[in-house]
Amino acid sequence: MEILAFLAQGFAVALEPQNLFLALIGCVIGTLIGALPGLGPVNGVALMIPLSFNFGLPATGALILLVSVYYGCMYGGRISSIVLNIPGDEPAMMTTLDGYPMALQGRGGEALGVSAVASFVGAGVATLGLALFAPLLVQFAIRFGPAEYFALFVLAFATIGGVTGGSLIKSFLAAFLGLLLGSVGIDAVSGVPRYTFGLYELYDGIDFIVALVGLFAISECLIYLEDIRGTSRPTLKLGSAIPGVRSAGRCAPTIARGSLIGFVAGVLPGAGAALGSFLAYMLEKRWVGRDGRFGQGDPRGVAAPEAGNNAAAGGALIPMLSLGIPGSGTTAILLALLLSMNITPGPLLFEQQPEMVWGLVAALVIGNFVLLVLNVPLVSLFAKVLQAPGWFLMPMVVMVAFVGVYSLNNSAFDLYMMLGFGVLGYVLRKLEIPTVPVVLGLLLGGQMEFNLRRAMSISGGEWSILWSSGISVGIYLFAVTLIVAGLVYSWVVRGRLR
Amino acid sequence: MSDASQDNAGRVPGVIGDRIAGALLLALAVGAWWLSHDLESGFMQPIGPGEYPRLISLPLAALSLLLILKPGFNQRWPGRAALVRQAQTLLVLACYAGLVKPLGFLPASLAAVILLIRLFGAAWKSALISGVVLTLALYVLFEFVLGMPLPNIPGLDW
Repeated sequence: MEILAFLAQGFAVALEPQNLFLALIGCVIGTLIGALPGLGPVNGVALMIPLSFNFGLPATGALILLVSVYYGCMYGGRISSIVLNIPGDEPAMMTTLDGYPMALQGRGGEALGVSAVASFVGAGVATLGLALFAPLLVQFAIRFGPAEYFALFVLAFATIGGVTGGSLIKSFLAAFLGLLLGSVGIDAVSGVPRYTFGLYELYDGIDFIVALVGLFAISECLIYLEDIRGTSRPTLKLGSAIPGVRSAGRCAPTIARGSLIGFVAGVLPGAGAALGSFLAYMLEKRWVGRDGRFGQGDPRGVAAPEAGNNAAAGGALIPMLSLGIPGSGTTAILLALLLSMNITPGPLLFEQQPEMVWGLVAALVIGNFVLLVLNVPLVSLFAKVLQAPGWFLMPMVVMVAFVGVYSLNNSAFDLYMMLGFGVLGYVLRKLEIPTVPVVLGLLLGGQMEFNLRRAMSISGGEWSILWSSGISVGIYLFAVTLIVAGLVYSWVVRGRLR
Repeated sequence: MSDASQDNAGRVPGVIGDRIAGALLLALAVGAWWLSHDLESGFMQPIGPGEYPRLISLPLAALSLLLILKPGFNQRWPGRAALVRQAQTLLVLACYAGLVKPLGFLPASLAAVILLIRLFGAAWKSALISGVVLTLALYVLFEFVLGMPLPNIPGLDW
């Protein structure tokens, strides 16, 4: 019952005109960015962060705006998957498998409708889960000391690469590169400048917003420049999305299963939405068995991954808000935003600023309804955006990135730094070294070091404090389990590819 | 995840790329280790400012060595034409970064946007038209709607 009182308080915050407006704007912008091929929630949120900073938004408003963009991107990502067979981002990849065949059969509208309803249910389940489970996790985490927090950071890094597949060596390399970059600047404890090479611009450390926009937005443009000829896109007749709502009713069990699977995948630190949609699709395919026509335009093949990825997106907010551990690339960036506003997510956030947490939850509920409206009757408007040529969209992305970063400090140095990170991000992506762990390292490095050194000064230089409590040992064991699970997972997946 | 559902068409063995990257990262780790010894604080802290970078550079070096020994896959590297386009784009952006303050937002952005649209593959005519439209739209959006101060044209302060 306590939760209901909190929720009522939350709705009071979310329904303030400014916050309501930010949620609406965020949903629209998010759906737009998500719909653009190649731009997903990470890029979308990365682009919006400098803008929300410059706009001088209060923390609650900025968080509501960015999380609405995040939810919107998750909805919008399916549009280009279905219409163009180009996933806007990784989580939307599974949706192409049945969404595009449906569009080819002239059932694109139906696919968009089914997936919108599935997204709605998935996001709804996740928001409900956030309201129910986050406070429980907080109860548990309230007993954490610096040693346990250090263990949590280790867990975040252990999982971010391990579960999402790809090369484990490369994920960890990326994380340590990020951590090293994060140690640039004046050491907060002793005041000694580290690795600044006399450049006073580096004394405050590498601004993660600058790094973020470079690593994601600028590198995306460099990728796009590789092949600029592929602009002629077949325009498919979509039809109305309304019938999709009815066929979503027939997919109700699928959507329910996908939402639950996605939610669990999202809550696991490091797993994120891509795993959510992948598991939801694969398990649904197995569940339905031979009756399904998966891969040839089965509506269930659209409903399952969309329910899964939206549920995972919401689920990933739970460890981010209650423990300060991001569950995905995008939540890592949201976490970064909070840290840079001097708000430390974690158990204390729920105690000290309940209006912020519950306002966010309420804003997500409202935003989810707005997104349903945007994505069923109005979806054809967003599909039109896909007709805009890339030579117009990409320069626009670059310019928004430039202006956003420039206005942070009015400094050309930041712009050069952003370009540098753009090139770094591009090269890393070519090398198949993931960029999200770099951002995570850059971002969490400071906190991680701070907790390590605090633990060490409590123990008087005795390293054993790091593994002296049951909780931290449990967290390390969990981290090891997830790494092993990741190894087994990528081994199985690779075995199947052969 | 990317292993699971993407085909292997866009991937090439990364024997050379991964080894170069590994060598560079190894050099970075060694350099960071080396420089960390200069970082000493006057306090008697259990761990000083240099300890943590050393703690990071050890695994970084080990992982770089692993990468050199066991290179994996790379995405297909761009061809010459793509490289030229990317280099030109970066050059335009670097010039823009340096010129936006001395020239003011409008002229610098107009030039940058038109060149960018050209580089992204449009014809001159559409580049000129959309360049003007995009620059003005961004100017109005940032300066008036969002209220972000953009650098003015020198001598024209309004």
